[in-house]
Amino acid sequence: MQPPPPLPAPPDSAPLDQPTVLAALRARVARLEGVGRARHGTDPIPVAEGIPLPGGGLARAAMHEVAAVSPGAAAAFCAVLLARSGGTVLWIAAGGSEGLQAWPPGLARCGLSPANLVLVRAERWADALWAMEEALRCPAVTGALLVAEDTARLDLTATRRLQLAAETGGALGLVLRRDAPNPDPSAAASHWRVGPLPSGGAGHGLADPRWQLELLRARGGRPGGPWAVTWRASSGTLDLEEAEAPVVETRRARRGR
Amino acid sequence: MSRRFLALHLPDLATARIRRAEPDLPEAPLATWETSGSRRLLAAVDAAAAAIGLAPGQALADAQAIAPNLLLRPADREGDARALHGLALWARRYTPLAALDPPEGLILDITGCDHLWGGEAALLGDALDRLRRNGLSVQGAIAGAAATAAALARARADAPIAVSGIEAALAAPLPLGPALRLGAAELEALARLGLRRVGDLLDQPRGPLARRFGKALLDALDAVTGRRPHSIQPVQPPPELSETLDLLEPLITRPAIEAALDRLLAGLCTKLRLAGLGARRLALLAWRVDGAVQEVAIGTGQPNRTPAHLKRLFAEGLGRLEPDLGFERMALEARATDRMETGAQVSLGLGARRDMAALAELLDRLGQRLRVRRVAPVASHWPERSVSALDPQAVPPPPPPGWAHPGQPVLRLRRPKPLEVVALLPDAPPASLRWQGRSQRVLAAEGPLRLEPEWWRAQGREVAGAERRDAYRVELPCGTRLLVCRGGASGWRLHGHLP
Repeated sequence: MQPPPPLPAPPDSAPLDQPTVLAALRARVARLEGVGRARHGTDPIPVAEGIPLPGGGLARAAMHEVAAVSPGAAAAFCAVLLARSGGTVLWIAAGGSEGLQAWPPGLARCGLSPANLVLVRAERWADALWAMEEALRCPAVTGALLVAEDTARLDLTATRRLQLAAETGGALGLVLRRDAPNPDPSAAASHWRVGPLPSGGAGHGLADPRWQLELLRARGGRPGGPWAVTWRASSGTLDLEEAEAPVVETRRARRGR
Repeated sequence: MSRRFLALHLPDLATARIRRAEPDLPEAPLATWETSGSRRLLAAVDAAAAAIGLAPGQALADAQAIAPNLLLRPADREGDARALHGLALWARRYTPLAALDPPEGLILDITGCDHLWGGEAALLGDALDRLRRNGLSVQGAIAGAAATAAALARARADAPIAVSGIEAALAAPLPLGPALRLGAAELEALARLGLRRVGDLLDQPRGPLARRFGKALLDALDAVTGRRPHSIQPVQPPPELSETLDLLEPLITRPAIEAALDRLLAGLCTKLRLAGLGARRLALLAWRVDGAVQEVAIGTGQPNRTPAHLKRLFAEGLGRLEPDLGFERMALEARATDRMETGAQVSLGLGARRDMAALAELLDRLGQRLRVRRVAPVASHWPERSVSALDPQAVPPPPPPGWAHPGQPVLRLRRPKPLEVVALLPDAPPASLRWQGRSQRVLAAEGPLRLEPEWWRAQGREVAGAERRDAYRVELPCGTRLLVCRGGASGWRLHGHLP
């Protein structure tokens, strides 16, 4: 490992350049934590312009959880993030997830081209976890998604293993699971909740899909949201809406009642 | 260099198998029988039965009259052939070129293999010993031509080892029946002419012999005298590279087997590196003490010669081995190899190439346990046909235009699920549908997209599950978007989830 760069000069010699100091400290902490050991890009994956996230986006070499309010919106959100990781992506599905299978033409609409996509099917949940861990450990994989069954147990140990594997390989790890009121504790770097919003189209024709993103928990950052975003497949961007989202029912709101 | 062949003749393979399966059979002549048309004939006899004058082909009733205490079992030709094949696999411990000589013989091409056993006599002795210890009566011979060796093995019990080049002289004193494996009718016809030994035939002019008895007799004669050497067909093609390990103590435990595999892999990978090759298919062969041979095979997507990676691929298969009393010999064979760049080029290669290798290894590992595939886009409007599975190591072709059109779901149901939908008119878009236990109004519906099955592929029969359908993309008040289809007979079904 390289020796850490010297810190900027003490404040008495020059006026304190706070952003530079902060950036240097962040880089040093990241190196200590072992984030970004991967050979490929280490820059975080942007989610949407305007959503404040630690580091500016989803950290690579880390595991993130996505709780799905509806399967379609959450799967598309994951596909967008995986496509932005910019390399080979593994989509790992466990046995009896309702007979739902990833549909490559639809994923291609989210930017995930079939040239980069490898589909893995595991009959048993333990096999799926093993495959996810192996995939995250591989330096040639930039992203891996594990679709958890409804009944699957994904406890602290399992998520910690996945997190460690992701730190080794440097890939973006995503776990897609159904939104549950009391989720198991998890070692994921961030925890999202993704649900659909009405798109405003009426009668004939559907407008671009709108989703509600909620950052339930983030390591090194504050929870946030809900944000209303619109997915524009033509330009491949998630547009954050300025106005406060018409809150359907967030978990915090529920908890506050 | 002249070739050397070892022939083994196992006259009582069929009866020995029965004795082995039923150990408490009394000591009495044993024979198997089969039906030929409406007659019941002896198929195989053991040594005791042969001693009292029984022979294959005899009528069953005659045999029972001669020996009232004769034990009889139905013949199992397929089982015998399987047993012989198993023995041929076992015999690959001596040479990679082991061939069947049905119905009861084996021929091994031992050219260049004998020195590993300390000479031809030692090799032959070892083979005969091991087979006899397993309760088989066996005769063997070594000669410079396959058919000569086989004839010697059948006709002489003293395990002769003959130098190459004197095949005709060797074969001359042999009786025609066992040497040329002739049928009873032909033997009788020859005997009537006073021809009883191979030498008698060799003295005859060839033309009249061919006219009288056909080409088959002359072919057999030429083969046994080595005039026309015929090649043998090995039970398995010889491996491109292999590594074997003989063990003093039989291996029983998993760690011991893994340690042996480590040594085999290290040796084989060195050979591969020297040859500039990488393995595509490998097989681990394990010879059990009782003569059974077990095999574990793996395949790799890209040529590979990393021992650690190959060992991981074997991890799953090792569990299938049944050591029972232990393995006394193990071999690792490279059944298929491909050219692979040498070490220097790889280590100087760019990161991208190293990553490619890492990905190939990952997909190999996953593929050993799970279903791993890539997808190839196919130009078809019928959704079920627009994607086809590809090998994970393959490179998918570019998508055809219009393949990922906006109406595609991100998740599809493997089997579309019936859905309760209300439409105002028979052909109208859905107005409301039952979703998550309650009836929900449809805010917006896009469609229909009418899909007709690919009738040009059906070739006169209905493609399973293919039925014309109207696809609608609907949005519910909560924002959930679904792909629902109306089929003619099947009604409304949920086909997938849209983003």
